[in-house]
Amino acid sequence: MRNVLVTHSDEPLGRRVVKLLWHDERIGNIFALGADAAPRAFDTFRAGDPPRFAYARIDLARHRPMSDFFHSSQFRELEIDTVIHVPQHGVASEGLPLAGNVSSRAGEARLVLEHALATRSIRSLVVVGSAFVYRLAPGNANHLSESSELDLGPDPAPGLRPWIDCDMLFHGEIGNPRLRVALLRLPTVVASGGYVYLHPGLAGRAGPRLRPLGFDPLCAVISDKDAARAVQAAIHSDAAGAFNLSGREAIPLSVLGRWTRRPCLPVPGLLLRAAGAGLGRLLGNPLRDLLDGPHLRYGFTLDTSRAERELGFQPQYRIGLARTGDGGLRLETARA
Amino acid sequence: MSKFDERIGRAPGDGKKPDIEPPSPGPALGSDPFEALNDGDPLEEWLDAAERLLKGKTASGASQESAAAGAGAAVREFPHTPPVVDLDEEPALSEIELPPPAGVLERMLDANARRRLEALAEDLPAEGSYDHFGLSAKAVRSAFPLLYTLYRLYFRVRSEGHQHIPSDGAAVLVANHGGLLPFDGAMAAVDIFLHTDPPRLARAIVDLWAGTLPFVNVFFARVGQVIGTHENFTALLGEGNLVLTFPEGIDGIRKPINQRYQLQHFHVGFVEHALRAQAPIVPFAILGSDDQAPILYDVKPLARWLGLPVAPITPTFPWFGPLGLLPYPVNYRIVYGEPIQLHERFEPDAAEDARLVHELSAQVRRTVQRLVDRSR
Repeated sequence: MRNVLVTHSDEPLGRRVVKLLWHDERIGNIFALGADAAPRAFDTFRAGDPPRFAYARIDLARHRPMSDFFHSSQFRELEIDTVIHVPQHGVASEGLPLAGNVSSRAGEARLVLEHALATRSIRSLVVVGSAFVYRLAPGNANHLSESSELDLGPDPAPGLRPWIDCDMLFHGEIGNPRLRVALLRLPTVVASGGYVYLHPGLAGRAGPRLRPLGFDPLCAVISDKDAARAVQAAIHSDAAGAFNLSGREAIPLSVLGRWTRRPCLPVPGLLLRAAGAGLGRLLGNPLRDLLDGPHLRYGFTLDTSRAERELGFQPQYRIGLARTGDGGLRLETARA
Repeated sequence: MSKFDERIGRAPGDGKKPDIEPPSPGPALGSDPFEALNDGDPLEEWLDAAERLLKGKTASGASQESAAAGAGAAVREFPHTPPVVDLDEEPALSEIELPPPAGVLERMLDANARRRLEALAEDLPAEGSYDHFGLSAKAVRSAFPLLYTLYRLYFRVRSEGHQHIPSDGAAVLVANHGGLLPFDGAMAAVDIFLHTDPPRLARAIVDLWAGTLPFVNVFFARVGQVIGTHENFTALLGEGNLVLTFPEGIDGIRKPINQRYQLQHFHVGFVEHALRAQAPIVPFAILGSDDQAPILYDVKPLARWLGLPVAPITPTFPWFGPLGLLPYPVNYRIVYGEPIQLHERFEPDAAEDARLVHELSAQVRRTVQRLVDRSR
């Protein structure tokens, strides 16, 4: 029986993880943390005597509240032995300001790791990471394994830098004999209704995007339900290390954009590059990468054999367009 | 506004922000959620449009069709449940029953080629989906008739030594490279497809530079070409594919006319991968490719300035504009040599021995050069 702590449980993936773990008989107590008020979906979890679910609102990027939390009596009472760190990935995380050169996503990761290492009762740390940390070679689809090179160049896209920092922080502890670290690298995560997370070009609100003409990278995708199942598999496994995860489908960016109500309009690459460089000079680098980043040109699929072998994870959900009750079509995920 | 709210980018009193607008109602009850799908790959849509044009349909008719598709009236099945195939009862090539040719492209094929395409369909990803490297069954089906026509009528390819191509399992096929545009790779892939039983689709390794070219990168991926990274090569062999490689790389296609059929320096990665995967290496020679676009002079400073691997002057380029780059209708001849069974002599960890790998690569290069010289 594992007692788990889930960070950013108020964000879509964290919420999905908590819901799945609540129904898992091998999970005892669940302590959920979030930056916001508890989602209403958690109301039913508070029933029971004694309750096996607790929620706390906490700023994970600040040392004092984190330290207070890990030393609180409530934390001790729930006997947490596994931490699941789900970094911010929703709309709220887009406008994160930088403190020095460290984003709050990386700052949070550092504090979570620090406290997980310092708390004797914690034996396992499962981290949700992004597969966009890999350096992409040119090409419509590159098959990447866990040993593929990370994008450690001096100038990665600003949206990706925090994910790379997080990945490296946790990767550094993979050999730790006291704390088992499982780092799950997820590709683009999609959810029923057309929600999409982690893809640097599609994250954020619905609406049209631009992409370079003549490029239509293949995007590995995974449903949010499969992502939560992977976290569950990692909790119950004894395996440590980095694991690539992916769903059954790989979809060109143009199709994925249409499915998620973010149509990608093709614009000649030279024009995009010029516009990106000009706007980037005026407003900063993020625009350049948003308009002409490598993930809008080159795609990847993931070798998931390690996760299948060591975590026993197999994707179960299909992703596609389904007809809704009102006759329209929308992205849906359903068990195969 | 608190500092915390400010940091996470939330307005005061904003409460919980939805990620995007509220979703529409869920799927209709009692139906397969994936019964309908009307969004496709743009490349496939273009290929469809091209076929419609060839059929002589009017543009207005086509636009009416696409409008109907957009309205969800004409939708195709969601593809991800492949049909169950009984492998024990796989028919021989001659037993495959062919329906009448469906379109102009299929009419360009003879019965043997169509049967082979049908037989290959079982190894391709389901319609509407892609494999790890972006291959699409529909793109293969659409592109093959055009390549087959080039193979039969334009380059009039003759070949020998097919018995050396393994009928199953992974293998690395190594050849000489030439001719500015990589028609040699395409003709070799068609030849292998037409002379293996069951028909096999060779996956050609292409240079990283091809992956940076608009449209080309998508087309190559959809018809089965793969960018030459270590991970891709490993995965292809791991899945038991025939991997077609030209270890000369760009140096092969930009060699001047006075060096035609003289093999350039070989990159050694293919030997490492063949050793690790314990796959045989099949050397073969392609004759004709070095004559299809003889390079009189390579203007290297111009190529560097334009960021291109080569800035050629040929008898027809740049005098006839881009048309001058098209290959001349030379006769191709492909000769397959005996496989080099490295795995019988070396263990997989021999791939770590750089000196051995270089020596084996040079040995394969000499073998291909001998095949070229003997066949000319």
